[in-house]
Amino acid sequence: MADELVLEMRGIRKEFPGTVANDDVDLDVRRGEVHALLGENGAGKSTLMNILYGLYRADAGEILLNGRRVEFASARDAIGAGIGMVHQHFMLIPVMTVAENIVLGVEPRKGFLLDERTAEKRVRELSERFSLAVDPTALVSDITVGQEQRVEILKALYRGADILILDEPTAVLTPQEAHELFEIIRSLQADGKSIIFISHKLKEVLEIADRITVLRRGKKIETVQRAGATEASLARAMVGREVLLRVEKAPAQPGDVLLSVEDLHVHDERGIEKVRGVSFDVRAGEIVGIAGVDGNGQTELIDAITGLMKSEAGAVKVAGRELREASARKMLDAGVGHIPEDRQRRGLVLEFSIAENIALHDYSKPPDSKWGWLFPARLVERAGRIIREFDVRGGGPLSAAGGLSGGNQQKVVVAREIARDPKVLIAAQPTRGLDVGAIEYLHRRIVSERDEGRAILLISLELEEIMSLSDRILVLYEGEIVGEHTPDVSEQEIGLEMLGGRERPAA
Amino acid sequence: MSWAPQTRQTPVGKWLRNPVATGYTGMALGVFAAFLGIPPFTSRTATWSLIVGIIAIMCGIATVTRGRKRLGLGAIATGIGGIGLGYLATRSSVDNLNIVFNASLIAQTFAFATPLVFAAIGGMFSERSGVVNIGLEGMMLMGAFWGVWGADVGGSWVVGLLVGMAIGAVLALVYAVFAIHLRADQIVGGTAVNFLALGITGYFFFQLYHGNYVSQGVSTIPNIKLPWISGLHFLGPAIGNLNLMIWVSFMLVIASYIVVFKTPIGLRIRACGEHPRAADTVGINVYAVRYGAVVLSGVLAAAGGVYLSDGFGGGTFNDNMTAGRGFIALAAMIFGNWRPAGAFAAALLFGFSSAIALRLQVYSPSASTLFNVLPYVLTLIAVAGVIGRTVAPAADGKPYRKQ
Amino acid sequence: MSADPTVPPEAPEEAAETGTLAARLALKQRAGGLVVPILTALLAFVLGGVVVLATGHNPLLAYRDIFNGAGLNWIFHPTTNIASTDAYNLSQTLLQTTTLILCGLAVAFAFRCGMFNIGGQGQYLVGLYVANWLGYEFAGMRPLPHILLAVGGATLAGAAWAGIAGFLKATVGAHEVISTIMLNWIAIWGGIWLFGDGGPLQNVANKSVPISNDVAASAQLPVFWGVQGLQGLDVGFFVALAALVVFALILNRTTLGFEVRAVGFNPEAAAYGGISVKKNLIRAMAISGAFAGLAGALDMLGYLYHFGTSDIPASSVGFLGIAVALLGRNTAIGTGIGALVFGALLYGTTHGLSSNVIDPSLAGNLTYMIQGLVVLFVGADVLILYIWNARRKLRPKSKSKTHPVGASA
Repeated sequence: MADELVLEMRGIRKEFPGTVANDDVDLDVRRGEVHALLGENGAGKSTLMNILYGLYRADAGEILLNGRRVEFASARDAIGAGIGMVHQHFMLIPVMTVAENIVLGVEPRKGFLLDERTAEKRVRELSERFSLAVDPTALVSDITVGQEQRVEILKALYRGADILILDEPTAVLTPQEAHELFEIIRSLQADGKSIIFISHKLKEVLEIADRITVLRRGKKIETVQRAGATEASLARAMVGREVLLRVEKAPAQPGDVLLSVEDLHVHDERGIEKVRGVSFDVRAGEIVGIAGVDGNGQTELIDAITGLMKSEAGAVKVAGRELREASARKMLDAGVGHIPEDRQRRGLVLEFSIAENIALHDYSKPPDSKWGWLFPARLVERAGRIIREFDVRGGGPLSAAGGLSGGNQQKVVVAREIARDPKVLIAAQPTRGLDVGAIEYLHRRIVSERDEGRAILLISLELEEIMSLSDRILVLYEGEIVGEHTPDVSEQEIGLEMLGGRERPAA
Repeated sequence: MSWAPQTRQTPVGKWLRNPVATGYTGMALGVFAAFLGIPPFTSRTATWSLIVGIIAIMCGIATVTRGRKRLGLGAIATGIGGIGLGYLATRSSVDNLNIVFNASLIAQTFAFATPLVFAAIGGMFSERSGVVNIGLEGMMLMGAFWGVWGADVGGSWVVGLLVGMAIGAVLALVYAVFAIHLRADQIVGGTAVNFLALGITGYFFFQLYHGNYVSQGVSTIPNIKLPWISGLHFLGPAIGNLNLMIWVSFMLVIASYIVVFKTPIGLRIRACGEHPRAADTVGINVYAVRYGAVVLSGVLAAAGGVYLSDGFGGGTFNDNMTAGRGFIALAAMIFGNWRPAGAFAAALLFGFSSAIALRLQVYSPSASTLFNVLPYVLTLIAVAGVIGRTVAPAADGKPYRKQ
Repeated sequence: MSADPTVPPEAPEEAAETGTLAARLALKQRAGGLVVPILTALLAFVLGGVVVLATGHNPLLAYRDIFNGAGLNWIFHPTTNIASTDAYNLSQTLLQTTTLILCGLAVAFAFRCGMFNIGGQGQYLVGLYVANWLGYEFAGMRPLPHILLAVGGATLAGAAWAGIAGFLKATVGAHEVISTIMLNWIAIWGGIWLFGDGGPLQNVANKSVPISNDVAASAQLPVFWGVQGLQGLDVGFFVALAALVVFALILNRTTLGFEVRAVGFNPEAAAYGGISVKKNLIRAMAISGAFAGLAGALDMLGYLYHFGTSDIPASSVGFLGIAVALLGRNTAIGTGIGALVFGALLYGTTHGLSSNVIDPSLAGNLTYMIQGLVVLFVGADVLILYIWNARRKLRPKSKSKTHPVGASA
């Protein structure tokens, strides 16, 4: 049965406005195989799987299931054809029991009543058969994330899934839970189920997959057997060897320590410790880049430094002054500039004019205002100056920020932060979603701000960006700094650390 | 969760260890303390209220120390209030108390509570599916007018009830289109429904009846006489001669509990109100479920309205007849934590305070007002989270957009 | 009605999507800023007319008579002589407009901070009560300080009443809609208690009538058009006009208004900008309530002078303020126009109308219907914008302004 193809995707192409997410991608999956889909963020893995699951329609290409051509108009069709998907963000209802969540939509009935006993029995049988230990009567809100994932898997199996898509399944798990998940996958495999395992972590792919398909920038690079593949070969396929965007810059001339983070601990809103004792310094005139895979504590680290989130322990010092419990306002006043990772949700009030957005931090100080009285003409005048200086196109000081293109919106944010003359500039994913021209501009700008003597902390999920801009590189993995490098380090080395590929140095 | 046998686990010990149980017991005792001073107990000294109230306070303290701070504070507050009210009652004359607190108070409580029960259960269905319905007042008012009109024109209260419910459904459907498909703000839409109903009923009341009471001799919803009970001492005046709709409301509570919590339909309704995307991914038509639930809420609120005009009101209507009952029903639903039994209990409590208010008007207008305002104060306290915490369905009030 | 405002309800990518949608909608509304409310009102009047027609009356004549009854035909032959029917009717319409402007602002201000203040009615009533109390209790003061005291006290009372809802939202996350509805009814019953039999503010002259004392002459607002004591148009009208200016100035010319608008559009971005969201929720609600409380004060000191328990549930200007604000798109000018429209409807349908075309009782309810329809359609921007865009699609394209110029960065 080993070579029987259950799924073939041929020549899949999918375009979104401005980008080609999938470009002539082939994928074939055999019965009883674990097939890993490997690639960086934005490589097109999720798009491909959403097409398979009926959530998107491909612009070109075909899908064959057990040799027959199929068309899915919705997730319902895909479920009916035996495809199950465990989304990265679970689709579970916290106030309902495990059994209720699993049978929702295909409930066993006793007359017109819901047959809870049968539901629980079937769930119990299923969970024993695949050793997915979970209590059917427990409320979803009371179980762990690992158990929630099992419920999602059971949900797919209950609907008769033969092909199971797991989207970044280990992203939310602890190492122990991940280990248990692999056991489950093996037992599903033994039962003849096929699993598509989406990941960007080399180590686990090599541990669990039978075959590995690597995607890069929407294209399929190769499909390889696990035997013979190494972390290095996969990393090369994943990251590629294209010429990177190089930024011209002189060697850094580090000065005084302007930002100092000492043993910072931060919990997220669910109370999970996301930053675990991070310490580092950023000096005037240097760019410190923090590399890491999404969700390893970057957001919490930035929010704690900028006063948007409370930290549990540790200290943040700006130019020597300790500012741990400070509010966002105090941090701004202490000279911290912050280019937030989501400009539309946080960085801008889209309905506000450009002038108002530029004044978002300083509206309450002269010259913008005096004794609570705002001087819109001054806002507009300053905005006009900044728009010219930063070459913001698409609108004047009075146009709404929401009407600008993404790149120009980001220019407004960057202009606002830089124009405040901050000592420390925190740039979180400053080029996310921007086109090449805008990226180039921003990179040059960040370097020139460094040369002005600012301390710059750069956080990015794009390793290339970190490598080309930073004077020092820190690697964040599971809330801890696991490595520090100079920019001449090889990508592979950093990549391995980002993916948890190297043992953490003993504390 | 540990299944290991625990040594010396007596029921009382288990109860003492459970802060939720002690908290609610404390609150019940606090209420009981207030009742000790009035018939049928009519304790003449404040001692009994004091003793029961202190036990309530102790339960509250126990609850606080077990970590349920808000619940415990609620029990302590109820205990103190109970002692106070019990003491006040002992100072009133027994004669007055007997006039206010007698068996027919129970019948009247049911009569006041029933329109609230219908509308609150209706609102619960709508909100459980994820659509906030503050238009209950308007739907109820439409039911009240068109119900009595239907009974007048159709010559039978059955026709009236059906017409009222149908008009309620139509108004709810209009609201549903705006709230679900057009993704209008649900609060704004509900407010509009209330204004519309006020205008339409007022307009047609004048057009059809010149603003006077609907013609005499309209077929009204009958009372149910229970011959083997109506002669009994206490039960007779209490439940021996209740309106049909009151009994229907009891059945509605049980039926809606079963539907919401024991059937596949109920599971799907709740799924749409909690996590519509999750419901959608398993193939549930979120829009259809929400339309159904909103229309049902209109039907039920209107049925409560028909009872108000053609049952309780004896076949009459007057301008803005509901006078805020739809909002009390909304309050009852929130106070009852979006559950049928809870909404029923809250509706009874609010109906009771309306009945008391009516009876007290002769003796003490201020005390009467106090009972009239009680539902709103209690609900305000409840949404502020002082006692326990009301938890709305997670996606309540959020328009859903299909992918 | 989620009780917890801190939990982001949607996945980030979805929120970003609706964010841009909201922005696009805001832009479109800016483009068709006048068209949408006019279309809304037109649709409401047409549907109201259909009901009038269906029940055997001539809607055109009815609307003409309402127009005349509201004194709006005064503009065709203006006169300051209050003996003229038109002038008198107009003065009465403007008296209603005064109240509605302030009740509309009460709703609009909270809206601009992202909250729905349904409690205008309660805040208005609380203002009425306090103005009545201060206006009676401190009889013998000199007029100006007495008026300032009564107006100030009532305004603060309205602010405090609404502030409760703002405080509950900011601290425990209680939804302002529910708490303001409850506060409305508490205010209604509170007034019935205050003015009712044996109530602390019941009139001293006749203890069998549940009515308040009369405001002392020293606290009564001077009438400038009409007869003092006979519902003449008082200086409160100018106060309301000034309030429109103040509203616009606060929102557009002060740091407070900047914060309120930022929180209203995007609380997360506001917090990132260093603005305290909680503080602004409480403050915006209190300012809202201050407008409604001021409305109560002007009514009480301007022409009511006393209030009875039966007047309390019959009053609905606070609710009407919702329609006024929504029709006016929560702007100062819009609220002013909306208040005039509804003020004219309110007076024109009830008093100035001759009953051979349409009975005032019918027409009075027509006001509620139109009010309901306006609110219904205003709530559904999507529908109105759809109609508007469909109309524009029929025309050959004139100038495309929806695409940002120079889209490449």
